[in-house]
Amino acid sequence: MLNIVIDGQPIEVQPGTTIMEASRANGIDIPYLCYHPDLSISGGCRLCMVEIEGRADPVPSCGQACQDKMVIHTQSKQLSQLRREIIDLFLADHPLDCVICEKAGSCLLQKYAYEYGLTKTSHKFNVSRSLYQDDNPFFVRDHKYCILCSRCVRACSEIVGADAIEIVGRGFESHVATPFDGPMIDSTCVFCGSCVQVCPTAALMPVSRAGKGREWEMERIETICGYCGVGCKIEYALKDGEICYAQGVSEQSVNGDFLCTKGRYGWDFATNPDRLANPMIRRDIAYQLGLTDEPWELPEISPLKVRQPKIGDSFIETDWDTALNLVAERMKDIVQTHGPNAVMGLASARCTNEENYLFQKFIRAGIGTNNVDHCARL
Amino acid sequence: MDSTHLEALAQEERDRQGKYKRRIFCCTSTACLSAGAAITHNTLDQALAQCQCDEEEAEIVPTGCMGLCSQGPLVRVEIQNHAPLLYGNVSADVAQQIVTEHIPLSANEEDALDDDSIDATTPHDFMHLRASGAKKSLERFIIPLDSPFFAKQVRVVLTETGQINPEKLDDYLAHDGYQALAHVLAEMSPEDVCEEILNSGLRGRGGAGFPTGLKWKLANQELASEKYVIVNGDEGDPGAYMDRTVMEDDPHRVLEGMIICAYATGATSGYLYIRGEYPIAIRRIRRAIQAARRRGILGKSVLGTEFSFDAEIRIGAGAFVCGEETALIHSIEGQRGIPRIRPPYPTAAGLRDRPTVINNVETMANVPSIINKGAAWFASIGTDKSKGTKVFALAGQLRNTGLIEVPMGITLQEIVYEIGGGVPEGREFKAAQTGGPSGGCIPKAHLDTPIDYESLRQLGSIMGSGGLVIIDDSTLMPDFARFFIDFCVDESCGKCVPCRVGTVQIREQLDKIIGGNAGPEDLDRLENLCNVVKKTSLCGLGQSAPNPVLSTLKYFRDEYEALLKVKTADVTNN
Repeated sequence: MLNIVIDGQPIEVQPGTTIMEASRANGIDIPYLCYHPDLSISGGCRLCMVEIEGRADPVPSCGQACQDKMVIHTQSKQLSQLRREIIDLFLADHPLDCVICEKAGSCLLQKYAYEYGLTKTSHKFNVSRSLYQDDNPFFVRDHKYCILCSRCVRACSEIVGADAIEIVGRGFESHVATPFDGPMIDSTCVFCGSCVQVCPTAALMPVSRAGKGREWEMERIETICGYCGVGCKIEYALKDGEICYAQGVSEQSVNGDFLCTKGRYGWDFATNPDRLANPMIRRDIAYQLGLTDEPWELPEISPLKVRQPKIGDSFIETDWDTALNLVAERMKDIVQTHGPNAVMGLASARCTNEENYLFQKFIRAGIGTNNVDHCARL
Repeated sequence: MDSTHLEALAQEERDRQGKYKRRIFCCTSTACLSAGAAITHNTLDQALAQCQCDEEEAEIVPTGCMGLCSQGPLVRVEIQNHAPLLYGNVSADVAQQIVTEHIPLSANEEDALDDDSIDATTPHDFMHLRASGAKKSLERFIIPLDSPFFAKQVRVVLTETGQINPEKLDDYLAHDGYQALAHVLAEMSPEDVCEEILNSGLRGRGGAGFPTGLKWKLANQELASEKYVIVNGDEGDPGAYMDRTVMEDDPHRVLEGMIICAYATGATSGYLYIRGEYPIAIRRIRRAIQAARRRGILGKSVLGTEFSFDAEIRIGAGAFVCGEETALIHSIEGQRGIPRIRPPYPTAAGLRDRPTVINNVETMANVPSIINKGAAWFASIGTDKSKGTKVFALAGQLRNTGLIEVPMGITLQEIVYEIGGGVPEGREFKAAQTGGPSGGCIPKAHLDTPIDYESLRQLGSIMGSGGLVIIDDSTLMPDFARFFIDFCVDESCGKCVPCRVGTVQIREQLDKIIGGNAGPEDLDRLENLCNVVKKTSLCGLGQSAPNPVLSTLKYFRDEYEALLKVKTADVTNN
């Protein structure tokens, strides 16, 4: 263990820990734009510079590993001035559209401009990038807000492995692009939207939230994604009961900021009127059981020929107790009459490992058959 | 092949060279080639063939840079037992004349040469054998070899440059080539080599001046399955061509230094990263590698020992920033050439995350001489903290421009007025700029400063890779600074914001000042901005990009003030 002092606070850290990591773990705030805990170190934003006693110049805390007996200052007059100057330079290349910008409230650049008291740039305003690309249904790339922190590029390469984007061009003219600046769909992009989530500004924004409201007006609901057994934590941002966008929950153990396409964009079923909200029982069985007065009759034309068959024609809504009791009784009947091997269980990949374990246990020990399988094997 | 075989080859080549009565060296380095040296060389060859003289009479040797590039194409004539003669501005006509002047047509004339009545010490004397008119016309092209341009120089890196045919391995061997390598492999342990280089005081010639021996030692101490050596030949400073010349004119010296470095650090393979704009350097290094492989100097069991090492060329694609070591590593790995944050330094985790030593071409070229002549000899040249010599590409408003090698500690005064011959008449010396676009301008008042790493840094400039541009009073310093900032704007990789946006804003400010739209406060703002960029940029490019502006602001502030809309004087008066 190494003993270091950050802002007068003695801290013990493992060898290899960076100053940034040590500070964050101990609640000491260092500003940053390009740093991301799950991504490799870039060191391009120069905001996280700190002073180390015995060194002439400030060093970026994201890339500097702690050394024993290091004494570090994260706040000083010199650092404040330098950080102010750096934000000033960022603002010379970033439109101050905060009044209408939908990132306002969660934009990191806005946050630091506020903290360091900059209302506008003192330099000549000169934005190098003007490209606006809405070539896919999931997210918009508005390059004038890009600050070239390369978080999106690193997330795409290091977390997703898609390598769909890279920074092209040189210096002031550089921008994030797909190969040959082609449409996103022609690249290796899997539309997981990880880049959108790690973007600190409004350069990458979900299409679904456009015009839906400001960040601080949104209600936020955390849940576990139901699409598969991984169990990613998702946060839905809602306005007036309508989902505006979904995102991963930062620094959560399973997924952090990262989700797949389904989790991030596949939520429109939630408010679809066709969505099943209750268990249903076949109308003929329900009639036999006395749950409904209307018997089921063979329709005049095949349901397959009806453009949109109504589920209520063949099923009736019921509650979970009734539905589960019915299934349990019928299952028992089948096992008694035809033996356990007349039953087969097929589990779902959308269940968790634990659920799947319970299911096979139920089929093997409860029903008494080895006829159990999983959809992922099909 | 082992070292005795090597010595035999060297002797064979020396004997072959010794049998020629005359050897005519024609510079085929890029500078002279662009002045027409290819035609000169061809004409020499044809003229010699037309003479139909005995084979022993003369040999035409295509060779490397002789230094005085402003007078190219250069041809040197060496006649046995005579002082060599150097001809400048050798066009095809002059080349023809040189051959007819120096090579006798018949045996009678050959006999006349041996006549005791002719003083054999000066080659001019036998010229009377030719028509006196032609002799006079040739004399105009003779460059005195005892002029300060040559006399003030100390040649270590450029020892064989201009003396050997760079495309012939045997010629290098005949000049004690690969002797250092043979000695190292036979008698020194890798640690000894590191220690020897450390004792010599050799510092990186790429500009930063890190002690080379220390770098090798650090890499030597790393435990890794594979280590690499990289030679940085991505010379990008405008007007600088030291590394190009060394690679073009003495490629084996670079290779030898590289192999010794590999032995000292435990590297098994290496790369020579050469910028794509140097086709001749690439060709000659490639041939050198092939020749060295054929002779068993590269590849498995170097010179018959257990040590194995092989080298490959990687060609840069035209980015200045790829001269920065971490960007260079990215480029070799096939990634976008951008610098990364250090630490870890390449000696710990470099190419493919393995320990890697990156040295400049000139640094590597110093190594064979240090091994051959000893660390103490090397340390005896130069100043207290900066040892050895430095090659400079002398350019700008001077009488003599070209490639020079001078001992560290020489003053700018000596370089400008003695070697360079001073500023052409009618103009005044104004400033000397060292270190290319990252360097600063040194005014006349500081001309007596000795050239070493520390002194130049104190003056707000850097040693850099060796560009040295002399400016006369016809240049306005704000314009000059703007030119270099423009270069840095173009060449900034765009990774970190101070360099990407800061250099653009410095240029905006300069434009405002040059356009006459700035007030006195703008000068302070400019200075402040430059200091921020210098202090916060990620790599050397950004950290030194404001140097031309800062140093001209420091020494030539009056020129900036003269451009202001409201003069400083007016403000103070009111």
